[in-house]
Formats: sequence, C-alpha cells, structure tokens
Amino acid sequence: MRRQSLTAYGFLAPYLLVFAAFWFWPIIYSFYLSFMSTRRLPWTFNPSMTWGRVAQDPAFYNALKNTLTILAIQVPVMLLLATLLAVMLNSKLLKARGLIRFAFFAPVVIGEAAYAAVFRLMFNTEFGVINKAIEGVGLSRVEWFSNPDAAMALIILAVTWRWVGYNAIIILSGLQSIPQDVYEAATLDRVSPRQQFFYITLPLLKPVILFCLVLSVIGSMQLFAEPYLITNVGGPGGATETLGLYLYRQAFLNLNFGYASAVAYTIAALAVTISALNLWFGRDKT
Amino acid sequence: MKLFGSCAIVALCMSAGLAQADTTEVTVWSWGSAAPALDATLNGFNAQYPDITVTVEKLGYSDVKSRVLAACAAGGTGLPDIFQFQNVEMELIAAQFPDCAADLTPLGFDADAQAAFPEFKLFALRQGDRMIGMPWDSGPSMMFYRRDFFENAGVDADDIVTWDDFAEAGAKVQDANDGVTMTNDNLNGGTEWLQMISNEQGCGFFSADGETITVNQPGCVAALDVVKTMVDADLMTAGNFGERVQNLSAGTVAALMSGAWFEGIVRTNAPEDQSGKWGVMAMPSVTEDGVRAANYGGSLLAIANNSDNKEAAFTYLNYALGTNEGQITMLREFGLVPSLVSALDDPFVNEPSEFWGGQKVWELVLSRLELIEPMNGTAFFSDADQVLQSVQTKYLNGEYDTAQAAMDDAAQQISFATGLSVAE
Repeated sequence: MRRQSLTAYGFLAPYLLVFAAFWFWPIIYSFYLSFMSTRRLPWTFNPSMTWGRVAQDPAFYNALKNTLTILAIQVPVMLLLATLLAVMLNSKLLKARGLIRFAFFAPVVIGEAAYAAVFRLMFNTEFGVINKAIEGVGLSRVEWFSNPDAAMALIILAVTWRWVGYNAIIILSGLQSIPQDVYEAATLDRVSPRQQFFYITLPLLKPVILFCLVLSVIGSMQLFAEPYLITNVGGPGGATETLGLYLYRQAFLNLNFGYASAVAYTIAALAVTISALNLWFGRDKT
Repeated sequence: MKLFGSCAIVALCMSAGLAQADTTEVTVWSWGSAAPALDATLNGFNAQYPDITVTVEKLGYSDVKSRVLAACAAGGTGLPDIFQFQNVEMELIAAQFPDCAADLTPLGFDADAQAAFPEFKLFALRQGDRMIGMPWDSGPSMMFYRRDFFENAGVDADDIVTWDDFAEAGAKVQDANDGVTMTNDNLNGGTEWLQMISNEQGCGFFSADGETITVNQPGCVAALDVVKTMVDADLMTAGNFGERVQNLSAGTVAALMSGAWFEGIVRTNAPEDQSGKWGVMAMPSVTEDGVRAANYGGSLLAIANNSDNKEAAFTYLNYALGTNEGQITMLREFGLVPSLVSALDDPFVNEPSEFWGGQKVWELVLSRLELIEPMNGTAFFSDADQVLQSVQTKYLNGEYDTAQAAMDDAAQQISFATGLSVAE
C-alpha cells in the first residue's frame, strides 16, 4: 500500500511543485505584501496605507459599486435568459439542434480582444450600426462611451451576450438529466405545461442553476476584459471601472503592490462571501 | 573524430565572434510618431557609424510603458538596449527600480554634455549622482486651428488672448460651420487640458521638491474652471487620441490644443486638401497679461542597465539627441521639438511651412520654451492623474459646488494615496 501511494505522490509531484511555486507561494507573499507600504523604497510595514486605505478610498468604493451593479443586473438577467434558452433548445420541435446549440455557445469561444473590437465598432457613437438603427427608428442617438449609464449598459450587454450561451448549455445538460417519467406523471395528473415548468423543472434544476450562479458571481467580481477593452479602461471617468480593473491599475500602473494586494484579498473575500450566501440560501431544506 | 569535431566548433565560434565584432545590434522601443522620427535619423547615423545597426520597434505608448515596467520588475530581463519613456513618468522607474536604467555619465553624458539641455528636462533624469536618460523632445503646448473655419466665422486668431476670447470665438465658429465642434479634450480618459492650463498658470500637481501636493492651488483651480466653462458652453466634446485624429481628418473639429509634437500628427494624418488650411497659435491664458506657455509631454531615451551594447547604444543616443543634425531631422520630419538648446538656432527653424499656411511655426513654438515653468512629475504622477480624472468628471457632472471644493477633495485623495501632505 505504501509503495502505491509513494508512486502516486511521485506522479503528482511535478504538478504540486508548479502549484506551490505559482499558486501557493504568491498567495502567501501577496498576503504579506498587503501589510507593506510600497510607495517608496524600501518597503515598510504600514497596514494603514493599505488595509486602512481600502476602507476609505472613494475610488475603491466606486469600483465596488460598479462591480455590484453589474453583478446585480447582469447575473440574474443572464441566468433567466439562459434558462429560457435551455428550455427552448431542449424542445422536441427544434431542427438542426447541434448547429443551433453551437451557435449559442460560440460567443464564449471567441477571443475577448476580437469581440471587444467588434462591439466598439458596432456601438461607435457616430458611425456604429446600433446608433444608426436607433436613429432610424426615430430616437436620439445614445452616447455609448461618454454617458456613464450607457457605458454600463454596454458592458452588461457585452458580458450577457458572451456568457448566456455557455450557461444555457450547462442548464440544458441539467434539463436533460431530469427523468421524463416525472413529466409523464404530471401530465397524467393534468398539470399544465406552465405549472410543470415552475413546480417541476425549476426545482429540479436548482443545483445546476446554483452552480452557474456561483461561477457567474466569481466571474463578475473579477470582470476585467470587457471594461478594459470596450469602454476605454473603465469608461467615462471611471464609470465602468470594476474591481478587477482597479486592482490592475494599482498594481501595474501605479506600482503600488502593497495596496493592490490588500484590494485583491478584499475581492476574494467578497466573492467567497457572496458565493457562500448563495449556496446557503439555495441549500436543500430537508 | 572528436578532435576534428571540437576544432570545427572552435573555428565556428571564432568566426561568429569575428562576425559579431563587425556589427553591433542595438534595439530601441518607441511609440507614436517618435519611432518613425528615429527611423529618419538612421541614414545620417549609419553614414558616420556603419558598424552599428539600430532597429527601432514601434509599439503603442501603453505597451512600451507596461512592458518596460514589467521588465524592470523582473530585474531587467526582456528590456531592449534603448527605450523611450515620458519625462514626467521617469521618476517612477527611479523610485521603484533604481537599477533598471543605466547611468549615462560614465558613458559620456558628463556635466558638459548635460549643460546642452535645459534644466526643466534634466531634473527628472537625475537619480542621486546618476543620470538615467537623455532628454529628447519637449512639448510646448500650442493651439492648432483651422484657418478656414475661423475665417468663415469672421474670427481672427490674433484677437484671441484669453480663454474668454476663445469661448466667444468658439460660439461664432460653431455657428458659422455646420457639424464642427470648437475643440476636443480627452475628458473620458485623461487630464490634458487640466495639466496644460495648470502648468501655464504656474501650478503643478506636486511642489517643485516633490514633497507636498499643490493641486488645490489657485492656478490649478483656474484650469479646472476653464475646462468646465468650455464643456458647459458646448464648445468641447470628449475625444481620446484616436478620436481626435479621426475628427481632424474628417474636419469636424476647429481647434485642438496639445504639445508641439502634435504638429507632426496633424500634418501626417490630415487629408491632402487640408494643406494650407491649418495654423498654429499660442495657447490662450486666463488673464490678458498671463503667460501663454506650458509643457505637455516630452520624452527621453534611456539605456537598459543590463544591455550588452551600452557603448554602441550611447553612440546612437548621442547622435540622435545630442547633435543638431539628429534633432533637426526629427523636427523637420515629424515635428518633435528638440530640447537640445543649440538646435534652436538651426536655420530650419525660420522656414515657413506650407501645410500651416506659410506660417513659421517653429519660430512660434520655440519662443515658448523659455516661458515654460518646470513641473515635477514625481513617482506618484499616475496616482494624481487618476484622482484628477475622476474629480474632473464629477465636477463636470455638477457634483461639486466650486472648482476649489473639487480640487481640495482631489488633494485629500492624492494625499491618502501617496502618503504626502497637502501644501498650505
């Protein structure tokens, strides 16, 4: 038995070494850095410049507010759309299901820089196709990149577009694992399709939706690519700056590693808290 | 067989070594119109030094900055031999990565050579006894305007002395020219007008010694008020660099203020039929008799400390930046204003420019140099810039009662971020 476990550890060793070097050690070092003032050399122990600042920094709160706004609007909307999409993709009436399912999944596959560039062109205030369509209907054009609310809407649209297909496919797999006899029994009992959806499908889908919810929360807390690429690094004057962008700015533009480490741990703590709350509320009450 | 093999290897190495002794290769990282300007100096350089091959890599501004910082953080690996950096940001490298840039004094940039450059370019490059870069260009702020749009409105550029005059003219220009905005500023991603007008009014973000924050002094507050006046009067719309270039090519903007290096950008991006329709004037001031000069931008070239070709790199640096020939080539081709004092006497400076309607633009630009107040960037410049961007946006949206309140808040935030105190 011992020989076998030694061999097992032997095979695991390369991965564990890499993990230790690139994951474990930086996590510890980052925690250590979060107590240091790194504004000037040499770095000194000064938690008030890092942790003390997190609590009082208006720019941090702005980034937090933006991130929570995106979280509160985008995640529920996206999950709702994904569920509806999954139900429709599961329909027996669908032709060419493989192709259509791939079409909805495709946005995830596209590189972020590429789709960000296309979104920027489409939403260009003067020449973009979206504004031309809006003006064509008779409304006044939207300043997608100069208006803070419009920029936020743009980010939410982009992120939703990107991830709704991915989540739909996951929920679809959850749908397909629901045994058909439950529906047969329900139809025999004269339960309407609408009631079947709300009282059978959704409760049975709960674990899958919860899984998607936790993943989406973690992803939204770290959102970086869309605000960086689409709305010019945080939108008009920081209106779409997320926690991920704020972290990047502090660490790599201002070279303030201590403060950035404190921000990073705060983001992680928030993500864990929100996910834990989600899982707790969604637990099986048996 | 083994002996033959090892002899062959030794012979190959020797010939490779000899081949290397013939040409040294030097790489430069540069951006924007600065990179092609360096390319323009290569012919003259190789005429004098045929054994040094210089490769100029043109990257975007933020690419150069982030790659240089990342390489410095990694101990210098990955840096090219020479890299460009903005004067106002160089102190970040001096403060956080003191061993990243090479000391140029032992390579030949001694006190005599330094005296050829003005002090306002040199002080950011001093790191104790070391000199970590050579000044390249400076950016005297100028207002570049469309003569034809002004004529249509009956506005004479010579009559514009104060910002109030500019606002009045702006209203007329917009009325007389359909679809034209008076000016753009990078309101959503920068503090360009704020920096330029603050500098003009003698106010820097930090004090001259870099120890206190001066962003809420009267000069900077006045600058913020000018921006608000322009925006409130609908004379200024937001545009980042790319958008401003788009607007000037499309003819939808009447005037743009930036460093004099923008001359090359306008000239090389404007369509053919705009030649002769542009002009340059000094930036307006807040008061009738106020100074009409500021600096915006301006770079330097530095040599990486772990470069293998420091002497060759310095030879190129000295030619491109330290001789009239190098600097004037770059001025002529791409509008980079030399900070080398002797270059200002070159006859090219007095030549009229066809693109600018026959105006002697460089005479006007260079006359600004002695009026420019030096501004200390410090290692915390980007923190200050970021705070001011968000305060500017909030002030423009009406979230502060007065510009003074806005700047006081900005000073507090910068103080919090940097650990420096606010000046009285």
